[in-house]
Amino acid sequence: MSEILRRDPRREWIARNRLHPEHLNVLAELGGSVGQGTVATEWMGPNGVMRKNPHAVGFIGPNGIKRIDRSGAQQAAAAGRGAGQASAATDDRRRVAIEAPAFLVAVVPDMPGGRLSSHDRDLLGLARQLADADDQRPGAVLAVVFGHHKEGAFDEAGVDRLMHFDDALFDGYAPEARLAALAAVEGELAPSHWLLPDSKLGGADLGRRLAARLQERPATGVWQIEPDATAPLGWRCTGRGAAGTTDIQRALPRIVLALPECAEPVAETRHGAQPLALSQPLPRLLARIEDLGQVAVDPAGVALAEAEFILSAGNGVKDWEGFHHAAKVLGATEGASRVAVDDGFMPRDRQVGATGTWVTARVYVAVGVSGAIQHLQGIQSCEKVVAVNLDPGCDMIKRADLAVIGDSASILAALVEMVERQRGEKRDAA
Amino acid sequence: MQPDAHETGANTEAVLEVAVLVSVGRHPLTGRARRADQDARGVELAKSLDRAHVTLLHAGEFDAESESAMRGYLGMGLPALTLVEQPHGADVVPALARALSDAQPQLVIAGGRAEQGEGSGLLPYLLAERLGWPLVSGLADVEKVEHGVATLLQALPRGQRRRLQVRLPAIVTVDAAASAARQSAFGPARRGEIEVEPAAVAWDEAQEEWSVSPARKRPKRLKIVKATSARERFKAAAAKAEGGGGQVLTDVTPEQGAEAIFKLLKEEGILR
Amino acid sequence: MLDTLLPILIFSALALAVIGAVRRVRLWRQGRPSRVPILQGLAAMPRRYLVDLHHVVARDKVMSNTHVATAGGFVAAAVLMILVHGLGLANPVLGGLLLLASSAMFVGSLFVARRRRNPPARLSKGPWMRLPKSLMAFALSVFLITLPTVGILPEGTGSWLLAVALAAVLAWGLGEMFFGMTWGGPMKHAFAGALHLAFHRRPERFSSKQGGGRSTGLKALDLDDPKAPLGVETPSDFTWNQLLGFDACVQCGRCEAACPAFAAGQPLNPKKLIQDMVVGMTGGSDARYAGSPYPGKPIGEHVGEPHGPIVARRGTALVDAETLWSCTTCRACVEECPMMIEHVDAIVDMRRFLTLEHGDTPGKGAEVLDNLIATDNPGGFDPGSRMHWAADLNLPLMRDVGQAEVLLWLGDGVFDMRNQRTLRALVKVLRAASVDFAVLGVEERDSGDVARRLGDEATFQSLARRNITTLAQYRFQRIVTCDPHSFHVLKNEYGVLGGDYAVSHHSTYIAELYESGRLHFAPWKGGRVTYHDPCYLGRYNGEFEAPRNVLKALGIEVAEMARSGFRSRCCGGGGGAPITDIPGKRRIPDMRMNDVSETGAELVAVGCPQCTAMLEGVVDASAEVRDIAELVADALVPESESRRDGVRQVQPTAEARIAVKEVAS
Repeated sequence: MSEILRRDPRREWIARNRLHPEHLNVLAELGGSVGQGTVATEWMGPNGVMRKNPHAVGFIGPNGIKRIDRSGAQQAAAAGRGAGQASAATDDRRRVAIEAPAFLVAVVPDMPGGRLSSHDRDLLGLARQLADADDQRPGAVLAVVFGHHKEGAFDEAGVDRLMHFDDALFDGYAPEARLAALAAVEGELAPSHWLLPDSKLGGADLGRRLAARLQERPATGVWQIEPDATAPLGWRCTGRGAAGTTDIQRALPRIVLALPECAEPVAETRHGAQPLALSQPLPRLLARIEDLGQVAVDPAGVALAEAEFILSAGNGVKDWEGFHHAAKVLGATEGASRVAVDDGFMPRDRQVGATGTWVTARVYVAVGVSGAIQHLQGIQSCEKVVAVNLDPGCDMIKRADLAVIGDSASILAALVEMVERQRGEKRDAA
Repeated sequence: MQPDAHETGANTEAVLEVAVLVSVGRHPLTGRARRADQDARGVELAKSLDRAHVTLLHAGEFDAESESAMRGYLGMGLPALTLVEQPHGADVVPALARALSDAQPQLVIAGGRAEQGEGSGLLPYLLAERLGWPLVSGLADVEKVEHGVATLLQALPRGQRRRLQVRLPAIVTVDAAASAARQSAFGPARRGEIEVEPAAVAWDEAQEEWSVSPARKRPKRLKIVKATSARERFKAAAAKAEGGGGQVLTDVTPEQGAEAIFKLLKEEGILR
Repeated sequence: MLDTLLPILIFSALALAVIGAVRRVRLWRQGRPSRVPILQGLAAMPRRYLVDLHHVVARDKVMSNTHVATAGGFVAAAVLMILVHGLGLANPVLGGLLLLASSAMFVGSLFVARRRRNPPARLSKGPWMRLPKSLMAFALSVFLITLPTVGILPEGTGSWLLAVALAAVLAWGLGEMFFGMTWGGPMKHAFAGALHLAFHRRPERFSSKQGGGRSTGLKALDLDDPKAPLGVETPSDFTWNQLLGFDACVQCGRCEAACPAFAAGQPLNPKKLIQDMVVGMTGGSDARYAGSPYPGKPIGEHVGEPHGPIVARRGTALVDAETLWSCTTCRACVEECPMMIEHVDAIVDMRRFLTLEHGDTPGKGAEVLDNLIATDNPGGFDPGSRMHWAADLNLPLMRDVGQAEVLLWLGDGVFDMRNQRTLRALVKVLRAASVDFAVLGVEERDSGDVARRLGDEATFQSLARRNITTLAQYRFQRIVTCDPHSFHVLKNEYGVLGGDYAVSHHSTYIAELYESGRLHFAPWKGGRVTYHDPCYLGRYNGEFEAPRNVLKALGIEVAEMARSGFRSRCCGGGGGAPITDIPGKRRIPDMRMNDVSETGAELVAVGCPQCTAMLEGVVDASAEVRDIAELVADALVPESESRRDGVRQVQPTAEARIAVKEVAS
């Protein structure tokens, strides 16, 4: 859209004239909130001065008294107009360039999907803590990245030096090739710290391989580091041991495998992210592990107790085909209430509840489940519960973080359509 | 079992020697010794292999606790278990490496990490490095073993699987994605033999310097709000605290309801 | 001519019967040894037959009288016939008696024949269909050949042909009655049944002159002896008197009619199971079985042998595992069995082998057992959180007080939100009656009931031993619990492990409190109420009256269900059945809730957490489910108020007042 303001004197005049029959419509149009059904409270006047309509501000409270909400929640819709301006706001982050680092802190991010994950960013934050501890001897954070990536903001994440091994060799599951590359980095640059995310199949695997290769004892499951002058590297760390049941505090070793949220990600500085390469090409080695690619797996087959997203059906579900389709489109694992299982619509291993499986899903969508006490017990540890039900008085609604009262079949159908449409858009964009 | 298939198989391919490394587990709530969940899944995986000769190997102390845990593995239907005796606080890697290089199994299966002690999950990696064998982690299943090459299924997040091939001998680790262990039965557990073998001891000195305490609850990270204007700061401060009762949408069209659910699913980041 | 033929016929039949008996005994002796007082058992047999067995048979008056006439007539006729015709004591008195006996038997067999004309589904057909004819043949031919002896007909009446025909009919009768008795015909039940009664594995079951007997606790396995078998793998692993018991089955199908699993279409039929054990004992296939099959399992596919496995690890053998796991251990079959066969013992014996040796407990069984081992409760909850439900109740802990009049055993219901309501109600009642009670708190463990019924004797004994050790530290007069399963186990199954306690179900205890005037109730204002007898309270422990007395005290007139009291239908929650979860065509609790709605009751009173859970799980139920403790707690009124309002007409008796005083002091 063009940035030039166009004026319409007639409409401005109507907007000023409260007695004009078109007054409200024009106000609404000027407010840019057509279709929202609300009256504009602010608009640009003819001289570029902001005009306000105090009558349109606020809402009638429960006692019939007009209330004005300054938190802006009410104007949220209107605030959307200014969004374009905000993003153009100047980037006031401090630029940091470390020309001659005293030491290197190497980070090997997982880069799932070719981008830095939040775990990776946390780890880079941790790396910055180590690198920036001493103003006199600033260290540099070196990120070692394998394969193709789509990440464009290494600088914002706190990377000073970026070593990118871009070779098909490193794609898929190639721990041996990656380990050889890391060993080469160690041989040439000898970073003083190696930080890897302790994430399954990512840094957890590679980091342990590196530790075994370098014969360094790593600290695993680390979630906190503190300065400690008595320790060899000047730091002390706390990590989880014994399957997460103990905390082990010890001197920080060279190789650290850290948990998510081990540190705050970098937010206030931008760094160089200067490319760096090894002087020697990597030696070719014979791969003993061959990746044959991913195997298609049906989400319905995922064990209920491990599923992170469950779509659960109860007595209220009548359109079973629609339900199964919805689970498929959403990529959710199917669950069921006892009744649905007893009635033979779902297999017994899908039963959720005290008498079925205790689930730990992050999001649990209960469709037509009224919420028997055994069922509610079984979903105790679910983080977010969404209920779709016809009966607004049922117990599941009380438990739910979000409850939608209505016909489950049509709501699921609408949801499926929404997800499919959005996927379509994404595909077009990509 | 079909005897004829067994015979023809025996002619073309030798029996697969599989060693499973098992440890003393600890129940997360009561702390009682038990068979460790991941190790037991390893034993289950080994038992599901065709023409495999499975041996169990544990390195550690031999006392009442470890015996009850070891009997838990034997109860899965194995006649014997080898216990390489190591005192508390010893580094078991050299002893295990020696036992493995003596036994020369083609496939070593281990759990991802122990349920007590350091539980770093490093042991299989150190063994692999020492023995010079390849290692594959996070296994869900072994599809087949042919001509010294194993075809494996590795577990990816959200129940996805990746097919790998590895040259034997190799070490593989399993975690919660592998199929659950069968029930441990009292009869075979009681009958099973624990063969205790003495071994040289290497002490793990570093561990003595650590301080170990029960796991503290980690603070939940607060949502960081980078406010640029007064209004945004106010909004962030006045935002409703999380978990303050659910939102109930009544009298909405299916589309509006679906939209609200869609928004929540997006926020939680589980739609992809 | 008959004079020479008859003794030959009779004695050859007897000789064949003896040979058959030896063979049969050898079949039973394949079983494991079991110490039975042989002579005492034989001496007790007539009383066991005439009193205990007849007590069961007499529930069906017509059949009872039929059996008295037929069996009584036969026994008398057989003995007299041996005397009169076999040994030639042609005494007219004996002959007259013989005529009388055979005619009584004939009348009885007419009733048997009438029964067989349109037999109900529960009766086996096959050889049993010819039994009335055989009975009649025997009775009629004995009657006829005796007529000359007595002198009513002159000797030598009739032709040769007639005599031969008569002899042939008698041979048929003798063959069925003597030869068939020991060689496996329908009459086998008389021979095996008599010996089964004499050598029954639960002699305590039978009443004595002092009073009725009851023996329902499972027998413990010897786990200390590594050679002792863990349960039953093959038919020969049963003890010999168990095998004898199976052989005594008359295939009357009363068990089948009572079995909740059979009614629900789960693959279990107690009668077929017992017959399969007989097939296993003799070796062969079940193809000749002529009764109702296991629902969904055709006949003729299963074969067994005395030393072959009953349940195959894969494929089929004698019985499928799911048949054994369908049982809710409700004991309805045992209660109904006129032969006093112990079906539940046999099923648990076989389950023990599956769990302890195969490690093959189906459904969530393995998980539940693992939880019991690791956390002492089937749900796998933190044992330290056992008392969280009562954080606000300030319950006295045994650890603090050391002794109390009543030890309140809470059971695993403490982890279940529904049962917590019952427990709260019970605590309220106890406090209202100022009972001196205490709980074990976190020291309590699962009683071991589920583990034992799932066949895990090792876990049961481990739990039981530790509970007994804990209980031994404290002094109390009795244990009160609202869980009939814990009640049964504590009362009947801890004894052999060294724990003997006075245990009461809460309904019993509340009834006593009321009778001693320590509780006062407001009159009932609700609608129709029915009462569901929990199996482990009623059939297992004979407590039918106390819960009804409590309801009566509340002013409730119980609208009884067709199946109540000792015939109560199981809720489906016992024996680990909800854990093993064998699919059927219907659900047992749904059927029970139908029984409830047939009475028109708006509320069903129960006294068991399992029953509550199962019955409340019924969708669109017509009646509300409340525990007796909840009903009592709701009706409680303070003593002063009750007196003023004149709610309570009956004043406490002098005895009860003394009891109150004792407690107060």
